[in-house]
Amino acid sequence: MSELIKEEEILKEIKDKFFEAVENAIIQRKERIWIDVSENKKLEIMKYLKERGYYHLSTISGFDEGEKLGAIYHITNHKIIINLRVRTPKESPVLKSVLPVYPSATSYEREIEDLFGIKIEGLPPGRNYPLPEGFPKGVHPLRKDVKLEELNKMLDEKCAKEE
Amino acid sequence: MSKIQIPLGPQHPALKEPENFALVLDGEMIVDATVNIGYNHRGVEKALENRNYIQDIYLIERICGICSHSHVSCYINAVEEIAKVDVPQRAKAIRTIVGELERIHSHLLWLGVAAFELGYDTLFMYTWRDREQVLDCLELLTGNRVNYGINTIGGVRRDITKEQADEILKKIKYLHERTSYYVGVVTEEPTFLARTQNVGKLPKNVALELNAVGPTARASGIEIDVRKDNPYFIYDQLDFKVITYNSEDVFGRAVVRVLEIIESIKMIEQILKNLPEGPVSVKVGWKIGPGEAVSRYEAPRGEDIHYVKANGTEYPERVKVRAPTLANFQSLPYCLKNGYLADAIITIAAIDPCMSCTDRAIVYDIKKGKKEVFDWEELRKYSIEFYRRKGIKFS
Repeated sequence: MSELIKEEEILKEIKDKFFEAVENAIIQRKERIWIDVSENKKLEIMKYLKERGYYHLSTISGFDEGEKLGAIYHITNHKIIINLRVRTPKESPVLKSVLPVYPSATSYEREIEDLFGIKIEGLPPGRNYPLPEGFPKGVHPLRKDVKLEELNKMLDEKCAKEE
Repeated sequence: MSKIQIPLGPQHPALKEPENFALVLDGEMIVDATVNIGYNHRGVEKALENRNYIQDIYLIERICGICSHSHVSCYINAVEEIAKVDVPQRAKAIRTIVGELERIHSHLLWLGVAAFELGYDTLFMYTWRDREQVLDCLELLTGNRVNYGINTIGGVRRDITKEQADEILKKIKYLHERTSYYVGVVTEEPTFLARTQNVGKLPKNVALELNAVGPTARASGIEIDVRKDNPYFIYDQLDFKVITYNSEDVFGRAVVRVLEIIESIKMIEQILKNLPEGPVSVKVGWKIGPGEAVSRYEAPRGEDIHYVKANGTEYPERVKVRAPTLANFQSLPYCLKNGYLADAIITIAAIDPCMSCTDRAIVYDIKKGKKEVFDWEELRKYSIEFYRRKGIKFS
């Protein structure tokens, strides 16, 4: 697998340096690495990656796995994308903001807050994004327990009331 | 002098992405700017989870009218990676042609819009007239001027005939001539230079730090282009340059875009003269996965990224979309700061934000506590008048 030299190299460095915080690290294919990392070491790993040239945070994808919520940080050096996956319990979902390392993350983090209801610690206050003002409080539409029909019904009723 | 705050936008219901800018002014200089977005959330990501993979293609195509092919291609690359589909070369070539035609039409559209915002209406009329040629090519190939519906999982839905290829080559040749003329206009026309040089500065280190993408980043000297970095379709077999420029301003963004049109034209010629033979699609089952994939695509505005998670059913578990405009909004406040109010419109237009923005602006004078309402049109006139007073002649 000589064509995966660079991928193996960076993965080994992360594993050696942060062995206690890294799980399920795989090279999916050329230019794609997936790693599960622990929340409390997340920022340290990102800082290290940034020093190694992985300066570009493409986006953050939230997800709902049932018992746990989480986020995937897609970080790239133009060529290789490293996908860092972080999980947090659904009862009290909290993630630390990555703004100290990636200052471009504001909108992406607000999205996670709005759509998944994960509290982002350290995100400066601002207007919500992307849900509109006046969207029902405590409803996070991308969670799996929010069903489309119920959501539509609730929003229709809300509109009817306002009219 | 007291500071004045001007909210620009967000009402513009005809367009896709209404946005609001709070500009704080000291005299005529912008000293602070914040971008507020999210006025038109349609719940596309939730809707995607409730439709099957084929239905999703047509919904994703409608995320954006201008770069509809980009979003579908990005999504389809991820789905095909999960389903381990081997897409025929001819299908990949046709996807590439449509992608590059889309880039030409988007960049010509941008050049026209930018010229219009500058008060240079002749260029606006010229570019939009010539853009019809690209739209004709797209209609010829796909049957549609926008939302082409060419992609399907496993290939494309229509083949290219010899006659179509010849017709496109003819139109492309005309466009090549016209674009060479626009390169001259953009780089030599005094009106254009006076309004764009040293406007909306974005130094390279700031662009890197704030993760700018596409022509915005390339005009700050960053060589970032997914077509070269993570080649998809048949870009690894094509001969093309990544256009960069080091002026770090609106002028550079215009130069990058016009030169990119020429590169796109060359690519289309290369492909049409050497179109691979064979089928244009393969059959793929309704059920995909399980698995996950992340896919990047160089849309006309920059890096588009989709994350798809499949659970083995007909419906995706999760689809995440990040359009290039959102990435470029992070650096926009920086570009606006320390510029003139008169330059705000072209600076915003220079990242090519799907040209949604603003229809209305409220001027708030803190000292008098008085509000005045301006619309985009009046602000545009103000900016043209501002430069006329400085001695720039508009023909």
